[in-house]
Amino acid sequence: MELEIRKLVRDYGTKRVLDLESVTIEKGTRTAIIGPNGAGKSTLLNIVSRIDVATEGEVVYESEDPRLVTQVFQQPYMLRTSVERNIQYPLRLRNWPEEGMKKRSNELMEDLGLLDLRHQKAWKLSGGETQKVALARALSFQPSLLLLDEPTANIDPATTAEIEEMLLKINREEGTTILFVTHNLAQARRVCNRLLFLDKGKLVESGDCQEILQNPKEEKTRRFIAGELLI
Amino acid sequence: MDVISAGIAQAFRLILSGDQEIVGIIGLSLFVSFSSVILSTCLGMPVGILLGTHSFRGKGVVLRIIYTFMSLPPVIAGLTVFLILMRRGPLGYLQLNYTPTAMIIAQICLVTPIIIGLIYNLVREKAPVVNRLGITLGAGRLEIMFLMIREMRIGLTAAVVSGFGRAISEVGAVMIVGGNIKGKTRVMTTYITELKSMGDYSRAIAIGIVLLIIAFVINAILYNFQEREGK
Ligand SMILES: Nc1ncnc2c1ncn2[C@@H]1O[C@H](COP(=O)(O)OP(=O)(O)O)[C@@H](O)[C@H]1O
Ligand SMILES: [Mg+2]
Repeated sequence: MELEIRKLVRDYGTKRVLDLESVTIEKGTRTAIIGPNGAGKSTLLNIVSRIDVATEGEVVYESEDPRLVTQVFQQPYMLRTSVERNIQYPLRLRNWPEEGMKKRSNELMEDLGLLDLRHQKAWKLSGGETQKVALARALSFQPSLLLLDEPTANIDPATTAEIEEMLLKINREEGTTILFVTHNLAQARRVCNRLLFLDKGKLVESGDCQEILQNPKEEKTRRFIAGELLI
Repeated sequence: MDVISAGIAQAFRLILSGDQEIVGIIGLSLFVSFSSVILSTCLGMPVGILLGTHSFRGKGVVLRIIYTFMSLPPVIAGLTVFLILMRRGPLGYLQLNYTPTAMIIAQICLVTPIIIGLIYNLVREKAPVVNRLGITLGAGRLEIMFLMIREMRIGLTAAVVSGFGRAISEVGAVMIVGGNIKGKTRVMTTYITELKSMGDYSRAIAIGIVLLIIAFVINAILYNFQEREGK
């Protein structure tokens, strides 16, 4: 078990935007979180990554160490320094030796085709490059749980494919658990093996990703998937 | 035309010869403006940071007042400080009018709102993003604070430099509270006014050139910041 939610509520004023019961994320799984806009997907991710706090309930993590959870946003912020230094920043925080740091960041840059950009100013990169640097930076310290909030929403297909490949690789080789908010059902099918469908803050359906996408049990899920597939 | 070209030639001779009076006036200008900017930074930076990171009732009103004061006419700042410091005024016993101290106080009134306003905008925009990045990469509170300062260093410096530009170039405030007394409160801008009425154009041009050079340096610094930071 990577994390467990027995009850999780988030209110904004009188509005309840998240109201979950009993969700378990197993270690090493790749879970897609799908649902309409405003369903509470980002809210859930932000609470899990501790940049937001629940109004009620809590997330129980397998690991006590909060520094093993990380998140990549749709529009990542790049530190005002080089690509390489951005990727190494989490390692500097953890006092990695210079050698280890170089080795790790080189591997990640190579996998994501970033080696040529290593000395560029990170905040001047294109959207796709920025997203790859953000992913490399998040993966640098070998987190046990990686949260992604629509990371490829405005990214070209080639870069999207690179990112998807990297997610599968890191999950396979390092056992990183992945929680992946996406609006792209084909992408969910390519990358994930579990699925959570949220609507209006509630968990509507959860289970095996391929199975739900092919054969949803709930009417709401079915309508959502059908609507999406028409596009 | 002759008056101008002769004035310019004479001006360079004056500057290059290190004319005692001119050097003294430039020195006092720099002293007054540096002092007011340093004090305004001490006052304005914490206020700008607090405004940018906290919300409270009446914040909108406070911000509107600050924005108004960012373009406060210097003569009004000068007049207000003069009235407060005049012999029959509330702080008259300090006997500060017609001293450099009064000039520094008047310039603080002009510069502090500028520094608050610029830093407020910077912090409001960047602090939440940097904070959230720091948390997701495993930085502690102190590390996040360092990260914020590092990420905003250029914007913070730019705010201070802009404040200095305002201070060194204004004439109204220092004229009213300082009185342009020779050898005591005479600064570059008030001296130019005086020289013009006396018809001593070459000295006026000489001081004007120095002011222009200072303005050029300030804007070169700001431009350089923009080049480095801009996308
Ligand atoms: N800071 C906030 N203040 C008030 N309401 C918010 C805030 N953030 C999110 N919400 C509301 O919470 C709901 C869920 O938002 P979010 O988790 O971003 O949805 P999703 O990511 O699924 O599109 C939305 O209705 C949104 O308007
Ligand atoms: Mg969202």
